[in-house]
Amino acid sequence: MKNVSRILPLYTADTSGVCSALYELGGMCVIHDASGCNSTYTTHDEPRWYDRRSQVFISALTELDAIMGNDERLISDCVSAAADLHPAFIALCGSPMPMMTGVDFDAIAAEIRGRSGIPTFGLHTNGTVSYVEGASQAFEAVVREFVRHVPKREGIGVNILGMTPLDFPLGSDGSVKSWLSANGMEQVCNLGMGSTLEDVKQMASARVNLVVSHTGRAAADYLRKYFDIPCICGVPAGKGFADSLASQLRAAAESSITDRAIIPEACLGDGDTVVIGESVYASSLCAALKADMGIDASLLCPLPADDRYYESTGGERVYAEEDLEAYLREKMPGTVIADPLYKYVIPEGTRHIELPHLAFSGRTWQRSIPDLINTDIKELFK
Amino acid sequence: MIKLAIYGKGGIGKSTCTSNLSAALAKLGKKVIQIGCDPKADSTVNLLHGDPVLPVMDYMRIHDEEPDRIEQISKIGYGSVVCIETGGPTPGLGCAGRGIITTFSLLEQLELFETVKPDAVLYDVLGDVVCGGFAAPIREGYAEKVLIVTSGEKMALYAANNINSAVKNFEDRSYAKVRGIIMNRRDVEGEEEKVGVFAKKAGLPVIADIPRSREIIKYEDMGMTCVEGDPECETSKRFLALAQLLIDEDNRG
Repeated sequence: MKNVSRILPLYTADTSGVCSALYELGGMCVIHDASGCNSTYTTHDEPRWYDRRSQVFISALTELDAIMGNDERLISDCVSAAADLHPAFIALCGSPMPMMTGVDFDAIAAEIRGRSGIPTFGLHTNGTVSYVEGASQAFEAVVREFVRHVPKREGIGVNILGMTPLDFPLGSDGSVKSWLSANGMEQVCNLGMGSTLEDVKQMASARVNLVVSHTGRAAADYLRKYFDIPCICGVPAGKGFADSLASQLRAAAESSITDRAIIPEACLGDGDTVVIGESVYASSLCAALKADMGIDASLLCPLPADDRYYESTGGERVYAEEDLEAYLREKMPGTVIADPLYKYVIPEGTRHIELPHLAFSGRTWQRSIPDLINTDIKELFK
Repeated sequence: MIKLAIYGKGGIGKSTCTSNLSAALAKLGKKVIQIGCDPKADSTVNLLHGDPVLPVMDYMRIHDEEPDRIEQISKIGYGSVVCIETGGPTPGLGCAGRGIITTFSLLEQLELFETVKPDAVLYDVLGDVVCGGFAAPIREGYAEKVLIVTSGEKMALYAANNINSAVKNFEDRSYAKVRGIIMNRRDVEGEEEKVGVFAKKAGLPVIADIPRSREIIKYEDMGMTCVEGDPECETSKRFLALAQLLIDEDNRG
């Protein structure tokens, strides 16, 4: 059977992506779903839940409300909760049942906005696709809603787009900020981690955007189109690639190239080492392995990404368990760097270096997720 | 762009009116897309000389994957009208409304409007606004105006009233508004008066009066619209007049 996972887990769903993307921005996230438990989106997928408050709610959709199309209860509950909690915005997310009944979240959001006066947007999640789609929509919606023209700041201001704990360990926001600073640049806003909505409102003052996962790409494309801010994709992993990424950022800020996004290209070859993971993060690791250790690594990205990231797998996104198994069996790489749970599809004779990914294996190996930013990676991948 | 959704009681002649209106708009030089939103998938058959297009849901059932090109789920009919049918599940199974929503998001992914660049899009929707899926054609970004097809028959008027009320329920949302009534005559006694009373009560104009005609049946038997078969006949003239009215309105913005 096609696309059936017998061994591998699925990447976490779009709703978790939304909650993670918006977690620190002071908004209210409402998932229109049955039950009343929000632990899937928070405790399981959100390490910040244990020491930082956020407003993530489930609407507790009932069978009768679903059958009758009773949107009014969701609308009035949101308006009432907003009157108590004064969120900076309200984000509405769908789940499988509203998908089946065709709930129009854009229209409901408009009604809530009209009644509460609070910026409200509907996100087209349904719980059946990956966190990349959800976080991507959420970041783009926030940018559309809150970014306006402001004067450019002195020096090279940089926005970080696409950083959430689903792809990066806690503390990565500090690492990237220090790296920017060490390279004579200044962070304006880190949209997913470590910044507030006030920082978001200053994003147009930046001269360049750094997209650190594909979840930030749609927002970056919007900022490129409407604010002429150029976009570079890459995580400053290791030392050598971190240095070259810093140079690329400075060059992009000065030249204002806005017609395309630049991606780490070292991953597009046919290396004997395969890195499985999120497109920008894993391709950056490929580039870092080349720069710091002379290793030719190629990318296997099972998640949604730009088509270019699929070049090393023949132009196709390889994501079904059987396809992943077949690809690795045929290629027989010397080494695979991937989440520990991928061990079940890695062929015998291939070395597996474990690189836990929260969006894939949850909290199981959370404490072992290394921070690769501007650090010596030789010990990790020797 | 002219963006219309056509609703009305089952069997009242929605597909006939929609196809003839598409043909009339095409005859007046407009690039038209007609999307049948009914599991029966017979909206566009008279634009295609009886050779139907493969419905989107059938494509997905056969291939077990989404189409990646518009050509796989469309056919070019009379007057270069791009014909698409959502199709739907086997009667008695599944969820037809969901099929419409899935088709719409697919058409968006395939960038149908950006590729075809139509002057007019017509959604021919099954019977009543029975669930969220059947309201999808009147959501923001799709149809802007609704035309209700009715005769003077009691049940047709009853359905027309239901449709009008359903659309009014969405007044707070940026949904389509009812533009008017197409009176598709069945030669019921006092038909004009009955439809007129309903129209007045609902505050809607009767914007087309389609006579009961043998031409429609004759040309449908030949797999074509009346507008294609005999553009000079009275029925065709009525559709051409309606098309011109909609074009003029669109030009005025």
